[in-house]
Amino acid sequence: MAFFHSLQNSAFTDWFLGSDSIWTYPTVLTLHTVGMAILVGASFVINLRILQVAGAIPLQRLQPLYRFVWIGFAVNLSSGLVLFVTEAADRVVDPVFYVKICSIVVALSFGMVVKRNAIDRSDSQPAASARSRFLAAASLALWAVAIVSGRLMAYLKN
Amino acid sequence: MAEFAAWVESTAISKALFGMVWLWPLCESLHFIGLCMLIGGAGLLDLRLMGMFRGLPIRHVKALMPWGIAGFIINAITGALFLTMQPHLYLTSGVWWSKVAFIVIAGANALFFETRLALPALALDPNADTPPGMKLVGALSLFSWFAVLYCGRMLPYLGTGN
Repeated sequence: MAFFHSLQNSAFTDWFLGSDSIWTYPTVLTLHTVGMAILVGASFVINLRILQVAGAIPLQRLQPLYRFVWIGFAVNLSSGLVLFVTEAADRVVDPVFYVKICSIVVALSFGMVVKRNAIDRSDSQPAASARSRFLAAASLALWAVAIVSGRLMAYLKN
Repeated sequence: MAEFAAWVESTAISKALFGMVWLWPLCESLHFIGLCMLIGGAGLLDLRLMGMFRGLPIRHVKALMPWGIAGFIINAITGALFLTMQPHLYLTSGVWWSKVAFIVIAGANALFFETRLALPALALDPNADTPPGMKLVGALSLFSWFAVLYCGRMLPYLGTGN
């Protein structure tokens, strides 16, 4: 706990949150939103297609979309780490933060299972299995939970 | 604009909506979800028009458009609610008007695509590269939507109205 307090009360935090420059907090926050658009946007497309409600893109052709999933994730992991450091002590005791992190981890894992079972297969079927569809629906819901909890965190700041 | 904002804010509907403390965060969450649907749906078509994702027939990518449009509608409704609740934040802000301008550019661009380029685009061979005109339309759309996102997210830091 002392460690998280030292992060939150560091000179870096003071500079990052206190600076008048738009290149510190506002830009990292905006990058976190851009990364979200790329990561969740690509995941939405993949999952909606798996659920058979977004046209008939051959399932294998969804493969390159995972590049965007990982690019968006990389942007948000790095921007998220910076944002976390500056509120570390508040966040480690914030249940909403854990809801957000868990839903992201599970949504990504489900996405990987769907990729392995429905997209990477060379004998790819026109429609995904019931199991893949269930995971896609769960993944969609979890991304929504991640977004809502992320937004709520801003209201539960100390 | 400032007087108009003050008038909107004095109306009973504005006061009633702003009085519901949960409505603002709910609208923000929906605004973020709508933005992901819009950028996910429209973005893939934009990238395909720019010549990426070759092998993906444009008619398949275009089938995602209803989801992109649904995302836009969610954001137009939640955006209208923000505007009704706190008009002074937006109506006298240059950043907000820039956001509106980028929405108009993106919309006009999409309309141009729909009316002039959609048929030739649908007729393209799935593996074919796209002509320069389509690349330009795709790039302009992607740029405008991210500019909309940038103006919206940076609004509190670049300058809200008074």
